[in-house]
Amino acid sequence: MDELTLEIGGLRSAIVTRHPEVADVIARRYRGFLTSAPAHWWIEAEVRPEGLVALDDVVVRPTGGARRLEVERHDFLATLDLDERTGTLWLGAIDHIAIDTFLRVAYSLALLPAGALLVHAASLSRAGRAWMFPGPSGSGKTTLTRLSADADLLSDEISIVRLDSDGPRCYGSPFWGDLARPGENHAVPMAAIHFLRHADRHAVVPLGAREALTVLLPNVLFFATGPALVARVLEVAAELTARVPCFTLGFRPEPSVWEVIAVA
Amino acid sequence: MPDGYLLQNVRAAWRVYDGEAVIISPEDSTLHTLNPVGTLIWEAADGHSTLDAIVTRVCQTFAVDHATAARDAAAFVDSLCQRGLLTVVDTPPPAA
Repeated sequence: MDELTLEIGGLRSAIVTRHPEVADVIARRYRGFLTSAPAHWWIEAEVRPEGLVALDDVVVRPTGGARRLEVERHDFLATLDLDERTGTLWLGAIDHIAIDTFLRVAYSLALLPAGALLVHAASLSRAGRAWMFPGPSGSGKTTLTRLSADADLLSDEISIVRLDSDGPRCYGSPFWGDLARPGENHAVPMAAIHFLRHADRHAVVPLGAREALTVLLPNVLFFATGPALVARVLEVAAELTARVPCFTLGFRPEPSVWEVIAVA
Repeated sequence: MPDGYLLQNVRAAWRVYDGEAVIISPEDSTLHTLNPVGTLIWEAADGHSTLDAIVTRVCQTFAVDHATAARDAAAFVDSLCQRGLLTVVDTPPPAA
């Protein structure tokens, strides 16, 4: 048996598998996020070579209660028990795409009790502070990260924000987008959230708490089922937007955009 | 205007900012935002208030005549019922 423990967003999950090729994919894909510390979650990874159902999108459904879930896509089938903190993963394809998709769903749910969200956003840190830039595909997340040579990448695609006891922090994320490289694995206090939009000039506009919440929520990875989990997502998002200054950021694709980001 | 008492879907997650509600549907996680009049109706939908009584409160709070408020409120309630956020019940639920 191989056992690898990942630490993502401050939460450690041990993945146990009797398939060396699965362990090898995980070890290579999540190289910067491996730890030897004790795990909070246990996930058993198996292989189902006969293949799975033809589902392009991830389906998450309760099975035996709102806190026991089945997660399915064309390349994997999984279960998650949110109370026991255990999961099983049957892979139809031994590749990092199936594992990554499963982990995005699993961590979006497992991190909720700790007050953390996975957000469709780029995030960067400079001088000990983190900025998050939510937006759908094509909104400029990758462009902005490429314009930020003097900033540390936390993520170009799926950012992790967490309401820690000493304030909201942004964690480096292994869940990448077009850049195909992981974020730096550290946690940085949040400076601001900027919602991206293309413009012909740089412009930063402050958002009120309600407006910020309503533009943040569509960018949250949201696989929660059942009223308690949905309410928790809303609670964390509301607290985040109340505690972190939020803006819309219109920008031209030029490095000078940081002149308006840093002063907002 | 529907008879009966308006009752929120207790599974919906919601909060109010400056008199305007943000609601997440429990079934499909759809986000809904309400204006101040809609928020008043939503907050009043406790299972113990009829739409007519709520419309009277709308008229007292906002500068609108009863006929206009009743027509608009009925359409709004119908919309929220179709989205699974409200139901109209014949009798108030027992106190918790």
